[in-house]
Amino acid sequence: MPAAENIVAIRNLSKVYAQGEIQVTALNQISLDIQRGEFLTLMGPSGSGKSTLLHIIAGIDRPTSGECRVQGVNVTRLNESELADWRNQNVGFVFQTFNLIPVLTAFENVELPLLLTKLSRRRRHELANTALEIVGLADRARHLPRQLSGGQEQRVAIARALVTDPSLVVADEPTGNLDSHSAQEVLSVLQSLSRTANKTVIMVTHDPKAAAYGSRSIHLEKGELSN
Amino acid sequence: MTTATFILKNALRNKRRATLSIMSVAVSLFLLVFLLVTLREITLPPEDVGAALRVAVRNKISIANLLPAKQRPIIERIPGVEAVSPFTWFGGKYQNEENMTFAQFAMDATKLRAIFGEAKMPPEQYEAFESIRDSCIIGHVTAEKYHLHVGDKITLESSIYPCTLDFKVAGIYSGTADDRNMLFHQEYLDEACDNKGWVGMWWLRVSSPDEMPRVINAINKAFENTSAEVRAETERAFQLSFISMLGNVRVLIGSISGVVVFTLILVSASTMSMAIRERFRELAILKAIGFRRRELFAFILAESFSLAMAGLILGAGGAWLLFTHGKIAGILLLIAATIVLALALQSALRKQALDAIISFLIALVIARIGVWALLHPNISKMTNGFFLTFEVTPRIIAIAGVVAAGLGIIASIAPAISVARMSVVNGLKTLD
Repeated sequence: MPAAENIVAIRNLSKVYAQGEIQVTALNQISLDIQRGEFLTLMGPSGSGKSTLLHIIAGIDRPTSGECRVQGVNVTRLNESELADWRNQNVGFVFQTFNLIPVLTAFENVELPLLLTKLSRRRRHELANTALEIVGLADRARHLPRQLSGGQEQRVAIARALVTDPSLVVADEPTGNLDSHSAQEVLSVLQSLSRTANKTVIMVTHDPKAAAYGSRSIHLEKGELSN
Repeated sequence: MTTATFILKNALRNKRRATLSIMSVAVSLFLLVFLLVTLREITLPPEDVGAALRVAVRNKISIANLLPAKQRPIIERIPGVEAVSPFTWFGGKYQNEENMTFAQFAMDATKLRAIFGEAKMPPEQYEAFESIRDSCIIGHVTAEKYHLHVGDKITLESSIYPCTLDFKVAGIYSGTADDRNMLFHQEYLDEACDNKGWVGMWWLRVSSPDEMPRVINAINKAFENTSAEVRAETERAFQLSFISMLGNVRVLIGSISGVVVFTLILVSASTMSMAIRERFRELAILKAIGFRRRELFAFILAESFSLAMAGLILGAGGAWLLFTHGKIAGILLLIAATIVLALALQSALRKQALDAIISFLIALVIARIGVWALLHPNISKMTNGFFLTFEVTPRIIAIAGVVAAGLGIIASIAPAISVARMSVVNGLKTLD
């Protein structure tokens, strides 16, 4: 059996915020490896730094010190524009509040990240349709977000995260606004991404039931990893 | 979906606000075009060939001061002068009207063709005018307005001279820059109103444009240090100085236009900022999924620009249509009013009271303008004969276009800067 490939390598990562004159340490010397195809859940109390860690891995926040390599690329060294391109090609985002564009249909929301690529219109449509099929919402493609249930909206958001075929999917409390049935549907989709599509999924959650869907769970406490 | 559809859907996501924004730009640009056309009309240089050869001679102190008739032979002897005619304002009121609605001037009828050759009339009317002492000729605009025909008799009571004169209409002319005036014999005025020896001003024709500066100089010098010094000038210079007596119209209209544009910029910038602020979270998401600052700036700019351009088409295009094709504008406005009224009813049925009231008021205003445009299909009727042509020139459209484009750009700057400065994480926090 081949050795598992590290997709994320974090070394001595720290993040310190300045709140007025007070320095708040969100992350303190974190070192962590995440393997390809892993479904990692980040748990911990509010303010423990789990979302900050997720944001740094996803390239939407920068650490104060340390290194974060994703597929060998040190994302902390990329400039604003390089980082935007990198995110588009390598990271899929799923947020707690779905964050679909209300004036676009489910299909158009999924197609949105592909507008940044040079793909033909036909190819974009194929990919968007496939992503919607993966999350089981092909029949809701022409619906606006307000015409969908919360669970369906979140599945559209997952389809949007998948459509560029990223190696990494990050989800920040994706079931926080959902009822238990919808939450199960969403977690099953994320789990299958990891198991069948070999995507690396990193999910922040407070919910131990949600964390149980992951292949590994780590806890953060006051900006540090705890056992 | 294309980038253009994405921008369009965003621009129209709040239809009420988009409509009101477009309307505010449209109304302001309509006003701007109206002011610019007015300014152009007032300061329009005469374009006929005769204007290049005409010289106006007036009293140096004021146009209200008369000139002695004995100046005429002196002017006629100046080399380069082809024809001279007195031109005296009568200031008559017609049919007991409170205001003077058209100007009347006394002149030498035999010099009409030589000096104001662009006035087109059948030869027999010219001859009748020259031979009948109490005859007059009237511009076709005034003739149509008062339903006057050749052979009719009219009476005018002067507000300057202590007399009331009867005239016989000998001809109706057209083709001049201002087909409203009435012209009659200076001799008739002199005898009937005991005005012998005085004229209002002189109009003369020089033999060629090259002679113009020399003739003007010679006339001015001829009457230097006399009791009636004169100021001779080209027709254009005369018209501009005449306008300047109304006050500095150019500065006044320019100031109003400036205020219109400035207010428009404030309104648009505020609307655009509000529209973008509401979407901060979405823009943060777009950043997260890979849209760069320049792409987001392009989205905001395109949105702002498209709203401004829609306003331009409605405002400047509407002005052009209204001033040049009043009937078509009226019909289109009535159709638009019907559509807006239908939308108002739809909103009322949906119990959207505010939308219904706003739509109803807009429909009412549009319908009112539409009916007015139908009843006044040309600018002469719209302005009761004050303006004859009201041309929305390509230059004026271009100015409105530049203002609209500038507006689109300026209005997008502030929101674009705030979006550029926004970090994804902070943008996302606005949603939690």
